[in-house]
Amino acid sequence: MSTLEIGIASFPALMILIFLRVPIGLAMFLVGLIGLSIVTGSTNVAFARLKNETFTTFSSYSLTIVPMFLLMGHFATLGGMSTALFKAAEGFLGHRKGGVAMAAIGACAGFGAICGSSLATAATMGRVALPELKRYGYSGGFSTATLAAGGTLGILIPPSVVLVIYAILTEQNIAKLFLAAFIPGIIAALGYVLAISVYVRLYPDSAGTRPRVPMKERFVLLLKVWPVLMVFGVVVGGIYRGWFTPTEGAAVGAAGTAVIALINGGLRWPTLIESFMVTARATAMIFFIVLGAGFYNGFLALTQVPQELSNFVVSQGFSPWVVLSLVLVFYLIFGCLMDSLSMILLTIPIFFPVISVLDFGLSPEHVAIWFGILVLIVVEVGLITPPVGMNLFIINAMDRETPMIETYKAVMFFVASDLVRVVILVMFPAITLFLLP
Amino acid sequence: MLNNFMIGLARFSAILGGIVLTLLIVLTCVSITGRILNGWMHSDFMESLAPAFSQWMLSLGIGPVNGDFELVESGVAFAIFAFIPLCQITSGHASVGILTDKLPERVQQFLRMVVELIFAAVLVLIAQRLFAGMSSKMRYGETTFLLQFPIWWAYAASFAGSVVAAIVGVYMGLVRTYEFFTGRIIIWDGAGAEH
Repeated sequence: MSTLEIGIASFPALMILIFLRVPIGLAMFLVGLIGLSIVTGSTNVAFARLKNETFTTFSSYSLTIVPMFLLMGHFATLGGMSTALFKAAEGFLGHRKGGVAMAAIGACAGFGAICGSSLATAATMGRVALPELKRYGYSGGFSTATLAAGGTLGILIPPSVVLVIYAILTEQNIAKLFLAAFIPGIIAALGYVLAISVYVRLYPDSAGTRPRVPMKERFVLLLKVWPVLMVFGVVVGGIYRGWFTPTEGAAVGAAGTAVIALINGGLRWPTLIESFMVTARATAMIFFIVLGAGFYNGFLALTQVPQELSNFVVSQGFSPWVVLSLVLVFYLIFGCLMDSLSMILLTIPIFFPVISVLDFGLSPEHVAIWFGILVLIVVEVGLITPPVGMNLFIINAMDRETPMIETYKAVMFFVASDLVRVVILVMFPAITLFLLP
Repeated sequence: MLNNFMIGLARFSAILGGIVLTLLIVLTCVSITGRILNGWMHSDFMESLAPAFSQWMLSLGIGPVNGDFELVESGVAFAIFAFIPLCQITSGHASVGILTDKLPERVQQFLRMVVELIFAAVLVLIAQRLFAGMSSKMRYGETTFLLQFPIWWAYAASFAGSVVAAIVGVYMGLVRTYEFFTGRIIIWDGAGAEH
């Protein structure tokens, strides 16, 4: 076998391992290690790399952002910010048809502005909003689907852990990516609200009514949201204005939410320990995937597979738009099976060189940013697509009375809204790039 | 008994990692504050308004923490190694179960055993290689750029974390092996993560 053939053969090998339920990070690590050993003829090179690679991967300054953002999201919940957001959104929207569900989406969008993870947003807002949705007679599947979809806003609206990883992989500016994600994130929230209003018109029995909250009271509720605005403003604004690096911004955000949680009484010794546990588990998972992907991609680069693939695509003269569409469809399909971070780490080193040589009539930096946002959205759709969308599982597990199939049915409205948004963003790159200087 | 010890070890290790992470957050915030204050004290506004005060502040050494990112890098590597045991013992690693969930229980238990044993071997390999990395850093006396502390110190801290990860990894391999041969489940997925 030639080196290139070994590289190509590593894909099916990796897929088999992953589908045998080998943890994704471990599978990539093993295939990378074995592949590297076959290509170089012994384990020497692979073992020599391993001497420093775990340390350099885990000590990456830019990646420090990941545990810090995770901690920040947890502190934000402890500080009562998720509840404050939902109450305020409910005050303004609750009395409308489907309004409590719309409020849940609004609160998810707000929470997404201080939390970098979809699963955390879905889980947090699920705890806050699910009981309330039940109380006002919203049907089970509709409620769980709304919260699962709302959770994806956690990663779309900056700060976002997945965007940080994308920025590092493609050597792009994190601040610019955050900025570019902003408008698509808002459009996503509006699209979900639209999906809700269509749903309640088709199934009027799925939502009850809630009394109107007096205007004065609404503003009292809104005032309680100020910590969220402050943290978001300082962290994202500060990163963008260049006051501090993204990592420093994450540290400021974590410290700020911790102080707010301390003042509100949410942060005590036991809850602090719990925050550490949740952060530890998620961080270890993410970094093991990063480590495995680094090893696998190192091997793949040696086999020249990414270069050959992009040469092939260019020499065939495919239309850039066809290639882009194929890549996005690939993500949609695989996103139903794999988590977003693994997908990005595994595929960006292969697809990004291909996309970056195509001519979309944009500058290379703009293509990289636009493609990043598109990929982020399509992999997030995977989180809410049956059969294995992670957000669906998390929310459904919170609501024992609702069969999974009910959630599956209702979530299709949100998936449809996502697909429309992807098409719009593909057709009009200017929407994504609008805020960029 | 042994199980409680291992869960305790993983949790203790995660808490230690969490404390280090918290210290790094505080350090970073102090450094930013110092940098911003330093900028103010040097500004024309402060120099004309309260020259003595700003001189005094600067003479106290108000400014960014020297080499803060070197400490952050070394510290966070330790924290992440210290986080791995908890992820291991709570089966927290991302995996795709869509095909294997349809398989008979025995086959699933067999797969879990094999995966966990391989994982244990990989964690031992990582610890062993990290030790080799540490030894060579020690031999060449490499130091960091700004603070000039030996790089092997940072490796040593991470190595300690990786040893705990390897111990817990091997334990999980043995647990899954025992479970496969006896059919008795000792550790359910995610146990110990809720507290």
